[in-house]
Amino acid sequence: QVSELVQFLLVKDQKKIPIKRADMLKNVIREYKDAYSEIVNKAGRTLQEVFGLQLVEIDTKRHTYILINNLPRAKGEYLCREKEKEKMGLLLVILSFIFMKGNSVKDSALWEFLNLLRVYPGKQHRVFGDVRKLVMEEFVRQKYLEITPIPLTDPPEFKYQWGPRAEKETSKKEVLKFVAKIQGKDPTFWASQYSEAEA
Amino acid sequence: DNREAMLNSKSNRLTEALEEANKLFDGVCRAREAALDAQFLVIASNIGKEKANELHSEMSAFDSTTFAEDLLTFMGINRTEVEETDDSEDVPGGFLPSDAWQTMGEEAPKYFRRAPTFHYMMGSFKSEPPVPKQRIERQKKASRGKAERAMPAQLKKMEESHQEATEKEVERILRILQTHFENDPNTPISFFDFVIDPNSFAHTVENMFHVSFLIRDGLAKIKLDEDELPIIEPTKPSGTGEEETRAGARNQVVINLDQKEWK
Repeated sequence: QVSELVQFLLVKDQKKIPIKRADMLKNVIREYKDAYSEIVNKAGRTLQEVFGLQLVEIDTKRHTYILINNLPRAKGEYLCREKEKEKMGLLLVILSFIFMKGNSVKDSALWEFLNLLRVYPGKQHRVFGDVRKLVMEEFVRQKYLEITPIPLTDPPEFKYQWGPRAEKETSKKEVLKFVAKIQGKDPTFWASQYSEAEA
Repeated sequence: DNREAMLNSKSNRLTEALEEANKLFDGVCRAREAALDAQFLVIASNIGKEKANELHSEMSAFDSTTFAEDLLTFMGINRTEVEETDDSEDVPGGFLPSDAWQTMGEEAPKYFRRAPTFHYMMGSFKSEPPVPKQRIERQKKASRGKAERAMPAQLKKMEESHQEATEKEVERILRILQTHFENDPNTPISFFDFVIDPNSFAHTVENMFHVSFLIRDGLAKIKLDEDELPIIEPTKPSGTGEEETRAGARNQVVINLDQKEWK
């Protein structure tokens, strides 16, 4: 049962969409419902010991899980498909922007910024295709970004923040390091962001 | 837009508006008015939060325009060339190379602890996903390619004895070869084109195995064309059968093909 669950989780993780407990129960655990916690815990241990992956519950109310990498960052090449890496590049840029701007940005501000990078919501991008869909749907579904409507705005506006997957897979400190590298400065250059990242 | 005016950090308009709302609320005695007041408070608090946010970034001097420029630099923008765009957009000058986001993609994973995605290498016997994939591959192979490769869609069953299966396979391959030649007698087929299955190394080897029977039995022959590459054609069923088998001297060829070469 445990190894079935492990396989199930690994396959489900391919799209990076959080895994629901209900799916686990329906597809794998089924009649062993009572032993659910034990099976999940053992699966988590296997994932950690065999694959170096951590099973994290990102929503304790709706019981959804993600897999993250628990191994120390390897300095070598990343065995990742090119498309995935490019998307991560865009994501990192967006997460940095959100953090440096105080952890929350209006969608108009985000797109204004992305336009500077020749990325436009209405225009098919050579690499990313339908960028608006990528940012507003894919990244949100994967829980990298969280989008909330701003009440009583007309036309309706939204704000973007980091999603729970972003919180687990990276950190403010890492992102600040990235910004510092890009801008050729020391992270302490941005005093309040730095203290927030170190907290 | 009032909103912009209120956002201006130098203005006290928000404070004034709140004070006025407070005064007005004293006169409220109907629910609708109270609701309006609540609405106003929500808007006011949103604006207040935005103001606070702006203050925050001002304090730590993060300039998104400079950040964008530095990102473009990192991605390899060439500012001496002017990008020729057919639409007149307001683009900061410079030519962004096509691998710009690849460059970013090399850097980004270092900052994430992302679980590598798990894929089956060869497919397994148990799990659901790989099995349909194999079936699709076979069907695809059956329907693709030249007309003469119209193979029967039925796959031979595994229960058949190996001998029978091999014979059937050999016959089938002979028929394909002959059909091609009927349609186009002057074009011999490249041996490799004939046997190689781009989707399966194992199947390629199987094909070569079956073709070797045809050769052994004199039903097909392999020659070298002007480029020294092997071509295959069916032998003509002629009365001079004996001559053929003698003249087709027992040539032996060893073909070396490993997975790397096949790829």
